[in-house]
Amino acid sequence: MTGITLGGSLVAVLALAWLARALELGGDARIAGEAQAREIALNHHFESRAIAIDRAGISALARDDDGGFLLIRRHGAHFTGERLAPPLKARLDQRFLTINGTVLDLGDDAPVWAAQLRAVA
Amino acid sequence: MTKLPNPVDYAIPAFVVLIVVEMIVARRQDRARYEPRDTLTSLLFGLGSTVAGLLTAGAILAIATWLHDQRLFDIPYGWWLWPAVFVLDDFNYYIFHRTAHRVRWFWASHVNHHSSQHYNLSTALRQTWTGFIAGSFIFRLWPLLFGVPLPVLLFVGGLNLIYQFWIHTEAIDRCPRWFEAVMNTPSHHRVHHAVNPCYLDSNYAGVFIVWDRMFGTFVPEAVEDRCRYGIVRQLGHFSLLRGVFHEWIGIARDVWAAPWKAKLRYVLGPPGWSHDGSRETSAMIRRRWQERQARHAGKSHSEHDR
Repeated sequence: MTGITLGGSLVAVLALAWLARALELGGDARIAGEAQAREIALNHHFESRAIAIDRAGISALARDDDGGFLLIRRHGAHFTGERLAPPLKARLDQRFLTINGTVLDLGDDAPVWAAQLRAVA
Repeated sequence: MTKLPNPVDYAIPAFVVLIVVEMIVARRQDRARYEPRDTLTSLLFGLGSTVAGLLTAGAILAIATWLHDQRLFDIPYGWWLWPAVFVLDDFNYYIFHRTAHRVRWFWASHVNHHSSQHYNLSTALRQTWTGFIAGSFIFRLWPLLFGVPLPVLLFVGGLNLIYQFWIHTEAIDRCPRWFEAVMNTPSHHRVHHAVNPCYLDSNYAGVFIVWDRMFGTFVPEAVEDRCRYGIVRQLGHFSLLRGVFHEWIGIARDVWAAPWKAKLRYVLGPPGWSHDGSRETSAMIRRRWQERQARHAGKSHSEHDR
């Protein structure tokens, strides 16, 4: 492979990434309801007992039978799950719960979940 | 030494065109098949892998030449040599690939290819930068000891890589039955990239799916269990460098922190193994899933009996 081929490959990489954006690929992933949130948790091998979904549907918090927590957040066109473990950065501000940098609008449930999270923090 | 062209160099323009076609199909069918940041990361993985390959080519060539110099036989060129070496190399790929999923040392290099939650043609180019460090090439070079000419081995290896490109797609559902029976296909390889518990550790084939059928690692794609892609603990970011090295860093951290008797297993044990049982291997995840399935089946039986 010559320098020209390598340079050409880099141009092709950037052009393809630009094209993916220009074609508006990726979509706007949202959690439609509890069933979908449970499925996402299961995809991360996490059996949820209780779930709280962010009002915009871009994140969620799940709890299992053993008191473990899974933070679900949007990642591109999909969702990713993070098992919460100490040290945990969590902050409650009225209806907003911020966990490891992810802000969840949980409405009136926010203080309840914040209290449960203290066991992890 | 006979010099043969690298077929991958000639295939690159076709790779680019096919990715464009798949993107246009995705726009019409399902835009979530591509994500621009993920695509950029995958393609940069591919480009970086090529550069890493160039940097280490000299060392690999030196090792390969030395192995060939120690050969036990002299195998002459003939028309039969090409298909024979192609099949042998594909078998070696199966062994390498299976090991790469079962031994964390090799997984640390191979995980790069699986770390996207998307499954499209750009994922095919998401190749490792650290294959040389892992020593993965050894799995494919041993036929040199038996006199297989190096140019032939390199050429068929290139063809093998090219074949594996087109199977990284959701745009093709199933191929004709006879083809699905013998060859690796998009359907078979989707299963390989899936993290659904029922699909974990399966379909390691490169070109011929018959290896999986022969060695008991074949799992067919089921309509009722749609493939979900990525790795058991998803990365959750699009960072290129963190993506390349995260598992190597994980090994280093684990070996450092582990008690002496457990250190080696963090390197040579299966991915997810831990000395205190705090993590899960894919076998443990599958077992837990099977238990849950059995529990649910039992519950629905007892409800039915009532």
